[in-house]
Amino acid sequence: MLGEFEYARAKTVRGGCALLAEAGGKATILAGGTDLLVNIRAGKASPRLLVDLKGVKSLDRLTVSPKTGASIGASVPLNTIVENRGIRTRYPGLAEAAWTVGSYQIRNRATIAGNLCNASPAADTAPPLLVLDAILEVASPRGEREVPVRSLFVDSKKTSLSFDEVVTAIRIPPVPATTRTAFLKKQRVKGHDLAILNVAGRYDPATGDLQIAIGSCAKTPVLVPPLGEPVPPDAPIPELARRLEALAIQVVHPISDLRATAEYRRALLPVFIRRLLEALLQQSDHREAIR
Amino acid sequence: MTLHPIRLTVNGKSEEASVPAAMTLLEFLRERLYLTGAKEGCGAGECGACTVLLDGLPVTACLVLAVEGDGREVRTVEGEAKATGLSVLQRAFIEEGAIQCGFCTPGMIMSARGLLDRNPNPTDAEIVEAIAGNLCRCTGYEAIVAAIRRAAKEERDRR
Repeated sequence: MLGEFEYARAKTVRGGCALLAEAGGKATILAGGTDLLVNIRAGKASPRLLVDLKGVKSLDRLTVSPKTGASIGASVPLNTIVENRGIRTRYPGLAEAAWTVGSYQIRNRATIAGNLCNASPAADTAPPLLVLDAILEVASPRGEREVPVRSLFVDSKKTSLSFDEVVTAIRIPPVPATTRTAFLKKQRVKGHDLAILNVAGRYDPATGDLQIAIGSCAKTPVLVPPLGEPVPPDAPIPELARRLEALAIQVVHPISDLRATAEYRRALLPVFIRRLLEALLQQSDHREAIR
Repeated sequence: MTLHPIRLTVNGKSEEASVPAAMTLLEFLRERLYLTGAKEGCGAGECGACTVLLDGLPVTACLVLAVEGDGREVRTVEGEAKATGLSVLQRAFIEEGAIQCGFCTPGMIMSARGLLDRNPNPTDAEIVEAIAGNLCRCTGYEAIVAAIRRAAKEERDRR
């Protein structure tokens, strides 16, 4: 047995919110369970009630359209995102990030909403969703609201959501067909591992618009402040990388943990910024995981 | 502690039970149904020794609650062998020497089963990816990859 808790399967989002509200902060949403059940077993979490929303049909949908963008229901497992043709075509950086989470078995359970709401600084899907300006659709007993992923992370393992709020979907705005996205991750082994450092970027060679985000290097995944000018596709990468690194160090505060030292993370940063720029501007393949 | 009634299919057989919320699917399979093929290695979804198929997809049964299995179809390594004997996949593991201590084998077999069901002709890279979540401390994996490659070919030849 994993611990002492009760379980309730909500049939509707409204019902789920009511159960969470009633428990007054002592209930937790059970999505894929791949973090939650591990934490309960390790004594790091002790919710009184798990509210399972996987029975709510509307949370199961994944749609991608060039006109309206993508909508990923909160219960959609990561493998469904990895395998979705529309996501792979339009948002390959997100598909890559989702693919590097855990193992195949884990990704059949783990969800993108869970990856975000767990609020790990190393959450792999966070950097690509940050650069894509993704928005969470959130429901609570007070109604519905939208929370940009940019304002979701408050601290390590802490989000801006209230205990009775339920993420129903992650919406990604449409991007021009010319937009490129990329995701790179440094991990200790080439199988499944949490990130020592993960980076994602979005670049549109037609407009020169460039945005990058960094994970595992601060208390939360962070967006690097914009350069403030368009980046041409033939921009010299070493100089561009130096400018972005200078912007990045304003927002990162790497720490030492069991995966790497702060010094190593700090040393990886310029390397991964350069590789990311090569992936975005020159479409080089720097992905490290097995394939 | 509230008991939750569940009804699920395990290896083609319908099962009904009442389970506490905190019971994992792995505990249910091992301790209620005595299907002890799936093993608990790490209990944290890292080692894959507890891999079973849930509605056809490999999952780590230590991170699924038994109550979440309600209405679902579960397949374990015990469902792999038929009355006529071991499956092609199981025999390939033996023939390639892909088994040493055997602790990881039920999980390996189920990850491989899931792979071959969705992709009958996998590349070596796809085989490695499919078993990346299954740790083996004995064999060094080469023999396991060879066994899955062999089983894939034999299963294709039989079609």
